[in-house]
Amino acid sequence: MKKQFLLMGSLLLSTAMAYGAAFQLNLQGVRQLAQGGTGTAVPWDASTIFYNPGGLSALKNVNAYGSVQFLSANTRYAETPTGSYTADSKAKTYTPFNFYVGGPVRYKSKLSLGLGVYTPFGTGIKWDDNWRGRYVIQDIQLQSIFFQPTVSYRFNDVISVGAGFVIATGNVKIQKAIPLQSNGQDGMAELKGNAMGYGYNIGVHLRANDNIQFGISYRSGVKMKVKRGYANFTVPSALASSFPYTAFKSDISLPQVISAGVGVKVTERLGIQADANFVGWSSYDSLIFDYETNTASLTDTRSPRRYQNTLIVRLGANYLIGQKWTAMLGAAYDPSPVRDGFLSPDLPDNNHIMATGGLVFKPNKKLAIMGVLEYVFTPTREGTLNEAQFSGRYQTRIINPGIGLNYEF
Amino acid sequence: MKKLYILGLMAFVASCKPNIEPEKPSKGDGADFSSYVAVGNSLTAGYADNSLYRSGQENSYPAMLAEQFKTVGGGIFRQPLLPGEYGYPSAKLVLGSRQGPCDTTASLAPVPYTGALDTVGSSINIFNSAGPFNNMGIPGIRCIDFVIPGYGFLNPYAKRMFVSPTGSRPVDEIMVAKPTFFTLWIGSNDVLGYATSGGEGPAAPGGTNKISNVDQFNAAYDSVLSNLRRNGAQGVLLNIPDVTSIPFCTTIGAKSLMLSKNDANLLNNAYNALGGFIRFNEGANYFIIEDSSVPTKFRHIKEGEYILLSTPQDSIKCKGWGTKKPIPGKYVLTGDEVARIKTATAAFNNIIYLMARRENLAMVDMNTYLKTLQSGITFNGATFNANFVSGGAFSLDGVHLTPRGYAMVANQILMAINNKYKSTIPLVDVNKYKGIQFP
Repeated sequence: MKKQFLLMGSLLLSTAMAYGAAFQLNLQGVRQLAQGGTGTAVPWDASTIFYNPGGLSALKNVNAYGSVQFLSANTRYAETPTGSYTADSKAKTYTPFNFYVGGPVRYKSKLSLGLGVYTPFGTGIKWDDNWRGRYVIQDIQLQSIFFQPTVSYRFNDVISVGAGFVIATGNVKIQKAIPLQSNGQDGMAELKGNAMGYGYNIGVHLRANDNIQFGISYRSGVKMKVKRGYANFTVPSALASSFPYTAFKSDISLPQVISAGVGVKVTERLGIQADANFVGWSSYDSLIFDYETNTASLTDTRSPRRYQNTLIVRLGANYLIGQKWTAMLGAAYDPSPVRDGFLSPDLPDNNHIMATGGLVFKPNKKLAIMGVLEYVFTPTREGTLNEAQFSGRYQTRIINPGIGLNYEF
Repeated sequence: MKKLYILGLMAFVASCKPNIEPEKPSKGDGADFSSYVAVGNSLTAGYADNSLYRSGQENSYPAMLAEQFKTVGGGIFRQPLLPGEYGYPSAKLVLGSRQGPCDTTASLAPVPYTGALDTVGSSINIFNSAGPFNNMGIPGIRCIDFVIPGYGFLNPYAKRMFVSPTGSRPVDEIMVAKPTFFTLWIGSNDVLGYATSGGEGPAAPGGTNKISNVDQFNAAYDSVLSNLRRNGAQGVLLNIPDVTSIPFCTTIGAKSLMLSKNDANLLNNAYNALGGFIRFNEGANYFIIEDSSVPTKFRHIKEGEYILLSTPQDSIKCKGWGTKKPIPGKYVLTGDEVARIKTATAAFNNIIYLMARRENLAMVDMNTYLKTLQSGITFNGATFNANFVSGGAFSLDGVHLTPRGYAMVANQILMAINNKYKSTIPLVDVNKYKGIQFP
């Protein structure tokens, strides 16, 4: 019996547990993630600064929170319609992190202040340098860190509001081969740049009664501007003057997100919560690189992305085991914003089905030690990147454990 | 207990790794790829950069097809490989730096290869040591040559690979490897020689500068195809491209003579006495060409007429060709000549179309495909077009293709086969092969 339990346990973990569709990472709180990413309605801890700034003033004490995820995504490409060629993305572990501190300015104050530092968007995939899609992408890494000073006000026991100002920083690195050869060796383009952007995050939290809570939040779009990146081209020497080292400009419009959630305390021990997120991906219409120095061979590029808006649904539950342990489970469906004809090996996206689970251990009233495991299942997707006439089937598996601490002062 | 734990751990790790595999190819119905023979001319031989050399042969489109056929029961594929890379009989072209006598700076241009002469002895017949050959691409051969007995005596490439160079007809030689499947791409040289010589005929005896007679073409094509079909072999026919759409004709634009205001005035003053049918302006102008059909024997070139890539660039720059002197007729295709080429190409392609229909075989419309190439074709992120050098598809002679260009031809053939025989043979990865190589 015990043997079976162990086997079941590991299977459950392996099939049960990512990150969001496209390059949105919905990993901003361990407890929320463990419950399928739900968190708009219930202010668990200081991480509500991200999920719903309105919930901050519902916290009784100042909280300090820190967590990190260890996300590894593996993608395989297989040629279509038939053949023998496959390529696997290089294994790499990403570590999105979150820090939050916040709470009432003094005990029982209606005004709360906080600061969040988190990584809401990011993506990366690295293929072999000589793989078939090398003229589309060899390596892409997009990272972002958002800083969000936040103020929240509790009007009464029912309603509280909050708002945060977002200062976003990020960086982008892209490497791909260029079909200009010398002795059979391809040329290469490397683009690197730092990005900045601004936005805001506002929310309303409602505590209808002791058992039912509601939340609504709005995270604005953020235009990440690369004002001065650098492009370095390695080409045959006879063509070097056509591909000078040059600065470039670009920007990526990160989407606005409207969230609504509800949390219900079913029994003393069991709570369930549900969220819906509307993600305004249509902001990401095209990716433009504007080179400072243009030549006949090096012209500005504009590649269409035409992302479509998506609606994510999330469901989660938490169960109090004894006094010190809480178990959490959740699931979410996060449809892909990538349309047919735009499926690219730089982000071979598909609808995400996530299963999550987690445990929280509270050795005392102040400290919470949290662990989460997310598994993302993306159905195999077959398609073509029309722009590059690159076709294939992609399968992605994501496993994403994380740990966190919250301390209540 | 421990075993089960490990098993569980393995299942956990396994579920983190993607496990998809490509679909297995299928040969479909009705085609047997066990002995594939490619019949054709220089395009089939893998000729490129104005010569034939070993890596060109190794990257011929028939060699690529044979590799793909292996996934559905294809057999051995023998080619009459040359020993080296120099080019046979003459040196291939490579991109290099060239400064003509009237150039102020050196620029990138096709120049003869200067590497080791590693093709010595290539005139010796290699049938016994390396044949019979599946790649029966014979550079220079016309459709009408296939029925000439002793053709091997006339063509050095045929001479080295035929069983019986001095006695047989090419139409017999193509059957030696006993094809069960064939590709047939002949006919280009029945009009190309006329085009590349600027429509200057008649050629020397035995020369190939005339457009072939349509009835002769029809009879020879029928003979070749009937022979290939004799044992029930299946195959694909390819029609011939309009040679006026290749870089050999399109690289030097008719209106690409750039003049300063001063030079235009000087030229106008010199030509004024003739009555004003020659006029130059500041900027882009039409070159002056030789045309024996007009009373003055020269005139401005018009749109739809072509200056050939073979025109010596130094003569344009140093000797005033195209301005002070007309460009000689052998470097120019006039409107009449272009019309003759187009008429012949259409007639030959009509024969090929009718033959394909008669035999119920797939036909690849290379003529249309190469026209599509002019506006650009993208494969896995690399875009090709019909521009000289920068287009990536045509080799440095402006007529033949690069390995990547040949790979695109292979894919057109594979698509036609898959469509006809309901097979699913994988396409060739075009970018696996070399494009234009820059210094």
